[in-house]
Amino acid sequence: MSKHVLLIDDEANIRELLAIALQGKGYRVTAAASADEAQMTVRKDPPDLIISDLQLEDEDGLAIIAQLKTTLPNVPVILLTGVLFDPQVVRENLSKKVSCYLEKTSSLSKITDTIKRLLEE
Amino acid sequence: MKEKAIRRILVIFLLISAVVVAVAIAAVRNINQAIAGSDWVNHTHSVILEADALRSDLFLADGALHTFVLTGDARDHGACSEALSNVEEDLEITRALTRSEPAQAAQVADIGSLVEARVAFLRSVLSARQSGGADSVRATLASDAGGAALHKIQRALEKLKDDELALLTARDTASYLQAQAMRYTVWTGVVLDVLLLAASGWLIRDDIAARRRLAEALEEANRGLTEKVRERTAELESSNKELSAENLERQWSNQALEHQLRYNHLIIDSINDLVFVLTKALNISRVNPAVAQATGMSASDLVGQPLSRVARAAPRAPGEAAPLADPLFQALNAGRDLRDLPSVLVDKLGRTQPAVLSMTPLRDRDKVVGAVITVRVQAPSPASGG
Repeated sequence: MSKHVLLIDDEANIRELLAIALQGKGYRVTAAASADEAQMTVRKDPPDLIISDLQLEDEDGLAIIAQLKTTLPNVPVILLTGVLFDPQVVRENLSKKVSCYLEKTSSLSKITDTIKRLLEE
Repeated sequence: MKEKAIRRILVIFLLISAVVVAVAIAAVRNINQAIAGSDWVNHTHSVILEADALRSDLFLADGALHTFVLTGDARDHGACSEALSNVEEDLEITRALTRSEPAQAAQVADIGSLVEARVAFLRSVLSARQSGGADSVRATLASDAGGAALHKIQRALEKLKDDELALLTARDTASYLQAQAMRYTVWTGVVLDVLLLAASGWLIRDDIAARRRLAEALEEANRGLTEKVRERTAELESSNKELSAENLERQWSNQALEHQLRYNHLIIDSINDLVFVLTKALNISRVNPAVAQATGMSASDLVGQPLSRVARAAPRAPGEAAPLADPLFQALNAGRDLRDLPSVLVDKLGRTQPAVLSMTPLRDRDKVVGAVITVRVQAPSPASGG
């Protein structure tokens, strides 16, 4: 059975393009535009991996991740954001909150490779 | 190739048909000749039989005459007359039978003369005996002593018969040779037809083998073509997938860059300090919204203008204005930062307010291409004057 990926981003274009790319790689994708939608998805159909933006319209991405982690502590999380972090910040701060940090300018192949690695396929 | 083989097979079948027709014609002709030969043999036998009958009746008449001469009995006279009539009849039949054969007709004519002479002689003796008695014909019979005339007739008839038998023998030989020739003709035709049929069979087999090879080659070519089509389809599908992936990647890249650019603008535009981006000649190339808010001048008014249009150095002493361009030029050319340089901000109406100015050279791959200036206004309200 294909792996389930939860994609959280408030920009429709990002959600649509990334969903097409991941579905093309054989993943089952659920896209959420807000924290509420993400929570609903986690309850109804727990994902195998979560991809989240940092700055959402209704809430902080890291806060959403923290909430979801309480329900799914072992599910890997990718922070996919346009905010450019210093490597030291990533190392010392973000790595404790998410499994991986990716800039939004990363290529789709890099994103899918990261997903594959985190899902240990 | 196929057309050539078919033409050859047709030619062979035409030859076979020609041989069959030739053999049939020869057979029919042979049958006709056999029938004609049979008629001729029957006719020859008839001539021989008639010749035998003629001789027999002639001897019978001669014997009956001698008996009548001795007895004078009317019954013997009748028997002699009947025998003579039979002789004449036999002669006529023999003449009729040999009329169409000149050589035989000539022989029969000679025999006829002899027979007619003999019959005349016998009739004269018969007539003399009937009218005069036995003595009257003794002298006549004495002249015929020895039977030379009869012997002559008999020899002529024997010769005719021998000639006819010789002709029968020749005919038999001819018939035998003809039968042999027909036998050879039939066998030759049969052998020829068998050979032609064998050649035709060989050609047909060769043609079938060629067709089979062609069909196999065609099938192989079709298999190859199908395989090539499958491979090409797979290649096209793969290329299509790659193109789709590349297209998606490009869309993602454009989207991500647009997002990133928008986000960077958002950050700069959200800064409360006045931000100026300058060219290396210290002309304004970009400002944030805080500049318009503080000076009353829009970005359109300021882009391309020298920085001195809105920011000047603070006077070192009251009433003295130091040039701002010099320390900025010096720092920019040296590639170093300036921090908290006292200055004044000039608004659209020429009013000034105290501020501090910082400058960071704008580097593009270690090459200074301009500068970023931030200005922080010191007083909450603009000072009057200008």
